[in-house]
Amino acid sequence: MDSEDDMHDAHDVESLDDDFYSGDTPMGSEDGDAEYDFVDNESEDSEDVTSHRQQQSYTILSVSDIRQRQEEDIHRVSTVLSISRVAACVLLRHYKWSVSRVHDEWFADEENVRKVVGLLEKPVEMPNARELPCGICFESYSSNEMTAAACGHPFCSACWRGYVGTAISDGPGCLMLRCPDPSCGVAVGEDMIRMLASDEDKQKYSRYLLRSYIEDNRKTKWCPAPGCEFAVEFVMGSSSYDVTCNCSYSFCWNCTEEAHRPVDCATVAKWILKNCAESENMNWILANSKPCPKCKRPIEKNQGCMHITCTPPCKFEFCWLCLGAWSEHGERTGGFYACNRYEAAKQEGAYDESERRREMAKNSLERYTHYYERWATNQSSRQKALADLHSMQNEKLEKLSDRQSQPESQLKFIIEAWLQIVECRRVLKWTYAYGYYLLENEYAKRQFFEYLQGEAEAGLERLHQCAEKELQVYLEAEAPTKDFNYFRTKLAGLTSVTRNYFENLVRALETGLRDVGPSGNQANANKNTSPKSLLGGKGGKSGKAKVIGTSSRSGDEAWTMATIGLASTAPTRTRGRQTCARCANSTGRFGLCCLLLCD
Amino acid sequence: MTSSATPSRKALSKIASNRLQKEVVEWQVNPPAGFKHKVTDNIQRWIIDVVGAAGTLYANETYQLQVDFAEHYPMEAPQVIFIPPAPLHPHIYSNGHICLDILYDSWSPAMTVSSICVSILSMLSSSTTKQRPIDNDRYIKNCKNGKSPKETRWWFHDDKI
Repeated sequence: MDSEDDMHDAHDVESLDDDFYSGDTPMGSEDGDAEYDFVDNESEDSEDVTSHRQQQSYTILSVSDIRQRQEEDIHRVSTVLSISRVAACVLLRHYKWSVSRVHDEWFADEENVRKVVGLLEKPVEMPNARELPCGICFESYSSNEMTAAACGHPFCSACWRGYVGTAISDGPGCLMLRCPDPSCGVAVGEDMIRMLASDEDKQKYSRYLLRSYIEDNRKTKWCPAPGCEFAVEFVMGSSSYDVTCNCSYSFCWNCTEEAHRPVDCATVAKWILKNCAESENMNWILANSKPCPKCKRPIEKNQGCMHITCTPPCKFEFCWLCLGAWSEHGERTGGFYACNRYEAAKQEGAYDESERRREMAKNSLERYTHYYERWATNQSSRQKALADLHSMQNEKLEKLSDRQSQPESQLKFIIEAWLQIVECRRVLKWTYAYGYYLLENEYAKRQFFEYLQGEAEAGLERLHQCAEKELQVYLEAEAPTKDFNYFRTKLAGLTSVTRNYFENLVRALETGLRDVGPSGNQANANKNTSPKSLLGGKGGKSGKAKVIGTSSRSGDEAWTMATIGLASTAPTRTRGRQTCARCANSTGRFGLCCLLLCD
Repeated sequence: MTSSATPSRKALSKIASNRLQKEVVEWQVNPPAGFKHKVTDNIQRWIIDVVGAAGTLYANETYQLQVDFAEHYPMEAPQVIFIPPAPLHPHIYSNGHICLDILYDSWSPAMTVSSICVSILSMLSSSTTKQRPIDNDRYIKNCKNGKSPKETRWWFHDDKI
């Protein structure tokens, strides 16, 4: 298939582009090498990037996986220490399910471990008498009606059941249940629970046991998506914290917020706090209200004249502009709607400071609103895309397969495209939090960032458009359309291009746009397709024109060049808005290559 | 004020009242030293006189403990407080609440009123200063409206006294 050749071509070029990113990382930095590995692998087998990435840092565990692992760990400890399964379970629970820690502690001081955990070396028989008093209800029972843990302290079955039932309904503490005798610390293990608890309680207990295996273990966490039953085992020291659960929810393993690359956990926490914090209300109050000059309560003036009367009990009448008593106002000072005193004082500069503060607060609020709105919009676009992805998977794909007589296995590229859209929306969303915290005075960085963000937005729009609108035609077609294969190549191409662009973007932002700044500004002569050179050209426009000149090869190559790199996507888009005389009636293969060719 | 709010005033279960009957009998035969309990009709609330042990800071002082039993006693711990004025003690708040683990997290159904009494007396006897807990005022403020000490999340930090 020739589209595959395109791909290879594409990746050759892409790895060139990657150089601009990782190549500028100072060599010898701790993560430099890892990054190189990552990039190399990627360009080698681009087919299965996602699964490739998954296997390196985490494993998703289903409930049955968890049970199996837990069982294996218990079995291992039980075999190595030659103790019962139940005892091994108690031990593991106590040492937070770390098999190695159990081994270490046990072999260092078995006696002490037994004491701490409540495991006797030899069980003690119940007192040998025909009748025994129960230590809880104080009734006497014949010894065969009594039960005891390994310590032999006898309690009647009814009391045991009450004891176990109360402990289980009190919560996961029941996993560390001990003999009811206050002077005895012997563990009450799962065997006793199975014997004494109601069916419902047994289920609860086994649920707690399962939860404990995930929650008490430092290497595992539950997927935080509501209703999701999967857990994630994470390999410490992996380069990225991003985890995608089998339920398709992506989250950050470190902070368990939703996945937020390229933004770091601390910024995300700050951003989330900001989104719900009172601090924004404070800013709003500051910007839009003034304190009553008498009682100091903040007053918002939404409309009307400057004559303000504070609410009871204060009832102070004052002028909104100069905050002076209204009694000193009248026609002479400008009437209800103006205040000459204010105007005069303002000219003298008397109101400057508080006025400026209000102005600043208002600006900062506007700035925040700008980023927040875009952040939230991408969030909802992502939700929408997710819904579209599901409808694609559940109904449309089958329909399309029918209409175009294509096996569904051949239509995977559409799902891939939608997955990519969802992912891109996520990244794009977080770039707005990134932008919000980008320092105002880092002018070059800001500009470059905004340029990259704009390109990302445009690229994603193109992909989205293709996956949504252009696909529609083939969905509605009565008979198989012969240019469906063209569509396939185009959508797959766009998906791959957008993926690369966003991956580069994420990497660039994660390294703090390191290649921008006073020192990184010298554009490399033979790398003039680099985004840097675009920036170097101030405003980027002139740079874009240059790119086209250097990269317009012919045919497919030109296309791949045009759509792969960060830099080379730019010209196609800007030019795409103009009509091209040459290709107006040409059937340019992907609608993009022609734009380049005719340049 | 003679009492703070009682925990849910549900009647005792059969198990609970059987067990309490036995405790009453046992108490009459063998009361813990330093404690006096006058049996009343109300088996669900015991008022117990405590006399500070000789040779301790509380020697010859008398205080009153109020013990309320919940429906599922002894699976559930009883609520035990001093009726104010409560003894001045680093683990006893001025409203009579007692910071003692066996009354809350470490309760076991194999414990009895008698064993609680012994623990409380030992807590009093080992005190070296007559003072309120440092967070007394804050705690009292949070406990307004007669909250039960069983609603408090206790943090047992001192195992010496």
